[in-house]
Amino acid sequence: MSVTSAVSSDYNSGVSNVPIEHQFNPYSDNGGTVLGIAGEDFAILAGDTRHTTGYSINSRYEPKVFSVGDELLITANGFAADGDALVKRFRNQLKWYHFDHKKNLTIKSAARFIQHLLYGKRFFPYYVHTIIAGLDEEGKGAVYSFDPVGSYEREQCRAGGGAASLIMPFLDNQVNFKNQMDPDSNGTAKKELKYLKLDEVISLVRDAFSSATERHINVGDGLEILIVTKDGVRTEYYPLKKD
Amino acid sequence: MNSIAQQFRHTNPAHEAFQDNDNEFFESGVDLKMAPSITVPPISQPTEFLRAHTDDASNPDCKIKIAHGTTTLAFRFKEGIIVAVDSRATAGDWIASQTVNKVIRINPFLLGTMAGGAADCQYWETWLGTQCRLHELREKERISVAAASKILGNLVYQYKGMGLSMGTMVCGFTKKEGPTIYYVDSDGSRLKGDMFCVGSGQTFAYGVLDSNYKWDLSVEDALYLGKRSILAAQHRDAYSGGSINLYHVTESGWVYHGNFDFDDTFWKVKASEGSFNNVDA
Amino acid sequence: MNHGPYDWGRPSDDTYGAYNHQIAAANNSQFPKMNTQQPIVTGTSVIAVKYQDGIVLAADNLGSYGSLARFSDIERLLPVGDSTIVGISGDISDLQQIERILDDLQVQDSYDMEKPNLKPEHVHEYLSRVFYNRRSKMDPLWNSTIVAGLSSTNELVLKYADLLGVTYSSPAIATGFGAHLAIPLLRRKVETEEDASKLTEEEAVELVRNCMKVLFYRDARSIDKYSLAVISQSRKKIDIHKGLRCEDMKWEFAKHIRGYGAPQL
Repeated sequence: MSVTSAVSSDYNSGVSNVPIEHQFNPYSDNGGTVLGIAGEDFAILAGDTRHTTGYSINSRYEPKVFSVGDELLITANGFAADGDALVKRFRNQLKWYHFDHKKNLTIKSAARFIQHLLYGKRFFPYYVHTIIAGLDEEGKGAVYSFDPVGSYEREQCRAGGGAASLIMPFLDNQVNFKNQMDPDSNGTAKKELKYLKLDEVISLVRDAFSSATERHINVGDGLEILIVTKDGVRTEYYPLKKD
Repeated sequence: MNSIAQQFRHTNPAHEAFQDNDNEFFESGVDLKMAPSITVPPISQPTEFLRAHTDDASNPDCKIKIAHGTTTLAFRFKEGIIVAVDSRATAGDWIASQTVNKVIRINPFLLGTMAGGAADCQYWETWLGTQCRLHELREKERISVAAASKILGNLVYQYKGMGLSMGTMVCGFTKKEGPTIYYVDSDGSRLKGDMFCVGSGQTFAYGVLDSNYKWDLSVEDALYLGKRSILAAQHRDAYSGGSINLYHVTESGWVYHGNFDFDDTFWKVKASEGSFNNVDA
Repeated sequence: MNHGPYDWGRPSDDTYGAYNHQIAAANNSQFPKMNTQQPIVTGTSVIAVKYQDGIVLAADNLGSYGSLARFSDIERLLPVGDSTIVGISGDISDLQQIERILDDLQVQDSYDMEKPNLKPEHVHEYLSRVFYNRRSKMDPLWNSTIVAGLSSTNELVLKYADLLGVTYSSPAIATGFGAHLAIPLLRRKVETEEDASKLTEEEAVELVRNCMKVLFYRDARSIDKYSLAVISQSRKKIDIHKGLRCEDMKWEFAKHIRGYGAPQL
């Protein structure tokens, strides 16, 4: 490629010999934050509904957490076009999986498949933080999170996107009881891990997002929580501050 | 003449513009059997492009930060191999995870360690697992560590210069080889050796390991040494931490010796050894 | 690969050469930078807002060549099928390419269907995928677009799509400079879907026309001649009014501006 720009204008002073491709940045960041927590017999995946570019709020309600069937929830937060493309590809392949195998896709297999989707663009990555949530083969809540090029891990909880650095420490403390001691032990024993109940998780998620909204410009407007249990998927919406 | 006309025709632009991106991209030029094809951006300097957006060391503001930073080690001794690793993943200054599994169980006799790009290691070592299984099915015998590591070494060499980042140790025990460690990295190096520490905390781990290592170590002492070396690295290297995963590779396969939280281990070791006196209790 | 403890695992300059800061620094701000394509003829903002019975959208008729107001008869609201309007800002040559692509889509559609079946949700999906595939080829169509219309279930569709393949939907959308100047004005009346359901057609047209006036005041790449489309749910019809002018303008404020250039006596 050796197309060069030879026109002089406001946007381009003088003749440039730079190949056109490097002038174009194929990535942008559409803000937002997402959060997944696994419970004993449920899992949730939540995201705010604000959509931004730079300092502009494009939309106050643009959902980015999706229920794709088979009791699977998915979100790919970061560059919205890449996120949409990834979710679209996953949905499409899931349909084919049903045609070919006549059975549900387990969350374990979904996770491995997403690794391949992401790694398939190792040299031109999807700029997204992907999280999926659902129930595993034993009916236990499961959350898997992925880096942009497909390394993944099953976790109890994970925050992704712009305010991940605000929410994740809070979650470590409140879900995994990091740095918490058993009150009766006089500071000698760690607080024992236990599964949180659904209503406890919901209130944690709401606190996490309202707090992130206070301190992060790209988070706000609305909170959409998708909850998966053995009875299926349901959605809850809570408004967040709109400034 | 036709080719000139072709250039200036607007034939069905819809078809031209709308194509599935799965097959439209140029493929990486690396074409291996069983290796998935990976797309590259259709530009003149795809590697420069990738680096521009992912090298957080040269440009802390780069958008895509790939998980990096690690301490891993493996050493041979009388009773087999000890493999010890930390569990921290970092993306720039951000600690992305404290619970990463950096030992990939290729099969019951082979372990691979993970340092460098988390996805590169996880992906290609899983892939290596399938290659090893196929070898088993074809040859009716378990693959040697030499052959397994060479499959991985050849694979990464094909991608040389494209930006993969892995520093891995393939550890295994076979009848004909005995306990064997191969170090394979993304530059294409493949080295057989008795002892390797790999990752940003490698120097700290080497310090402890070198000064206490003996071929005749008991299994218990060897496991402790592995754990202790990672502990030192987690203490001194900001990019290492979390917890320690310990493995012992024997002639009957690898044995997992558990996960040890850094903080618990640190205070226990400090108290029992009387070491780490730079730190107040 | 770098083997030193601090930058371990990172690409080393010995293998890859010096890090190229230019690539990561290449950015496209709100107003698309058009210096990467040969003809730099551009169109400025498109604005759109929902009201109780439909959508009003508008775009002026200027084609700028850098800072030169080169063409004053560019039509940037394109009807597609009988229930969709696509408003396009950004590069005009790419606008024309999109026009050809969408024309083709309509032809294809009319072969297969007995009656027009191409609805705004389809047009938007198609267009955004064309954008995304082109950006992935690093050869973007340099535009920001708004797709508006009546869906197959006769519901309102108002969506955005741009050169990167980014899409979103909102009761008030504006591209380019309009995202900064018009959006605050539009949101003052229509912040939510509920607000939109209370706005009458007259109010919506008035609101959009006021935005076009404000844009003409302050957007140096705009002109006071524009097209305005009204999509009506109840009439199941789209009206495009062409050649509208900014009216009741007050330029008194201009002479009060101080502090730029040499003082005037």
